[in-house]
Amino acid sequence: MNRFHRNNVTFWVFLAPVLFAFVMVVAIPFVIGGFYSFTDWNATARAGQGLKFVGLHNFTRSFQDPSFLYSFIITTIYTLVNVVVINVLAIVLALAVTSKLRFRNLYRMGFFVPYLIGGLILGYLWQFVFNNAIPAIGNALPFLSTLANPENLMLRHVDTSIIALVIVGSWQYAGYIMMIYVAAIEGVPTELYEAAQIDGASGWQKFRGITVPMIAQAFTITMFLTLVNSFKQFDVNYSLTAGGPATSFMGKSIYGTELLAMNIYKVAFVGNDLAAGQARAVVFFVVIVVFSLVQVSINKKKELEL
Amino acid sequence: MRKIGVAALVLLMIGAVVFASGRPETGRDGITLMQNKPEIDAMLQDYGQVWSDSSGIGITIKSVGGSSGTSLGQQLRADYTAGEMPDIFIIAGIEDYREWESLILDLSGEKWVADTSVAFTVDGKVYGFPVAIEGWGMAYNGDILKAAGVDPASLTSYGAYKTAFQKIDGMKDKLGLDSVVSMAASADMGWVTAHHNFNSLLSNGLPYGDMSVVKDLQNGKVDQNRLQQYADWVELLFTYADQTVLTTGNYDAQVGAFATEKAAFLHQGNWVDPNMDAAGATFPMAFAPHGSLKQVTDGIFVSAPSFYVINAESKNVAAAKQFLNDMVYTNAGQNFMVKEAGMLPAFSNITLKPAGQLSQSVQKWSSAGKVYSWNQYQFSGEFRDQVLAPIYNQFATKQISKSEFVQAMTRAFENRKN
Repeated sequence: MNRFHRNNVTFWVFLAPVLFAFVMVVAIPFVIGGFYSFTDWNATARAGQGLKFVGLHNFTRSFQDPSFLYSFIITTIYTLVNVVVINVLAIVLALAVTSKLRFRNLYRMGFFVPYLIGGLILGYLWQFVFNNAIPAIGNALPFLSTLANPENLMLRHVDTSIIALVIVGSWQYAGYIMMIYVAAIEGVPTELYEAAQIDGASGWQKFRGITVPMIAQAFTITMFLTLVNSFKQFDVNYSLTAGGPATSFMGKSIYGTELLAMNIYKVAFVGNDLAAGQARAVVFFVVIVVFSLVQVSINKKKELEL
Repeated sequence: MRKIGVAALVLLMIGAVVFASGRPETGRDGITLMQNKPEIDAMLQDYGQVWSDSSGIGITIKSVGGSSGTSLGQQLRADYTAGEMPDIFIIAGIEDYREWESLILDLSGEKWVADTSVAFTVDGKVYGFPVAIEGWGMAYNGDILKAAGVDPASLTSYGAYKTAFQKIDGMKDKLGLDSVVSMAASADMGWVTAHHNFNSLLSNGLPYGDMSVVKDLQNGKVDQNRLQQYADWVELLFTYADQTVLTTGNYDAQVGAFATEKAAFLHQGNWVDPNMDAAGATFPMAFAPHGSLKQVTDGIFVSAPSFYVINAESKNVAAAKQFLNDMVYTNAGQNFMVKEAGMLPAFSNITLKPAGQLSQSVQKWSSAGKVYSWNQYQFSGEFRDQVLAPIYNQFATKQISKSEFVQAMTRAFENRKN
């Protein structure tokens, strides 16, 4: 076995387990699910159960459902806000952590820890903060007494619930995205900053003129990650708001902060309609693919080749 | 030499990982039971061990459910597709039965059928073993009601409740209460409003097993008079509830408010007995009827909410049947059901009494025959959770008025698809 051959075999031996897992857990169910979305599939033992082909019925019904359309709108809004907040926060933290601040290594670790906490636990933690801790502060400090009023609880209204979701989402992801920015910032050659310093550039000019173009590659990655993760948000949604306060849309009472993933979950498992849920999941996939392709191509154009 | 040592170590590690997930041998083939009450999981595991030792058959018990994570129905679907359907599992009613119809074994010939009146039957054949008798009404704090001068025996109609609530509300500070009634209507407590409270509309005041209101609503015919009185009752509960618990509280917040004597009434059932025990709540408590109608409705809602059914395709049907039989006819089984899990037995041969006050209250109402049926499961889970629950939530958060609530409920029944 010559060296080339041996390297090739080693390559495939290391890749095989992950590839196997991916094919079995993601690729094959995806194809099967796509097929099921055109049928009336239901994974139970009903009497007289058989698989019937129904064509585009599941898809048309989904687009006529007010809760699905509402979920689309609210998820898009949430994603836009979340992407902006996470990235701004992450860049600020990354700049802080790469500067000459004392204890910066401690901060680096500290900011990253929330990402390691699972989404469900985060949701329950922050639910306690919003429902119990903040009113308790309102009770303790007289000038903040409006916080103790049950009418002013953040999770009581749909718009503030979305803000709460953004807060928890950014608390969870900012540290992770910060790490990516830190790696990119540390890759910028210092001679550029020195040259700018000599030319008398201010901090903001240095940031805009040197840092931002040089880490454009990181922007592609972070935008993509935050966009896709925000769009797919489920566990924080489930534990923090459980679909949140109800609201009216298109004449129907629906849950106000039910993001797309939760809507699909509810249709499939609460509504016992797995085929309809699968159809919505296919639409979900197509939308995410389109959004991320557009985003990545826009970002790639702005990247600098070193 | 070192290479062989390393290779042997790697093989050993792989072997350990691969074989670590194997099942322990149990002598005869074991059975699997899946149930949805995590609060009795520890006691059930202990009983399972006891039963295993005495019968020589291994049993694996899985508990699924609670407020977050998968529900039993979802887990069953996942396991069925994986080919790991349990031998004994739980159904809640006719909807669940239809889901699994082709798998459920006919148990009409079993010995325990003669000792219970609430087994799950379809077309005259018995399919389900009643797990326990459960009931709910308005749980009240006896001490607080006495201090407020309200007689619980008088709380049997809307008018009586309105007077009592107003009276207690006026004495809130003196009695140390945050609110009169601990009621929850947030998104994840939709089952309190759209399952239990909704049942008041369906069966309060009607003879046990009477389906007339259910049938009308299923056909889209809404009795506006009954619905209007019901809406008044819902409004009463929402107005005198703690707004924080009502709009954003979870199960612990709602039950905790009653257990710590911050509320005089609690809108839950006798399943909160373990929670009361854990919170150290020893004040006298019992159930009073729901006041959803102007007329007197002297009864609480009692039924067997869930049933054990046996998987017809199980490889060990005899062992599963024996497990159910032993729960009714052996001392260990009866002790588990009543003393350890604190459940009300559905079988007339069992003479043990549960320790919880609310369970004893259910037993009292049940022996007096003053019971109304549980009809909420005649409507699908999707209808209750996705259509009705948001309407209640909007009413609780004051986004819609009472008349809009009535309109929304009427529209929901008229446009019901399933």
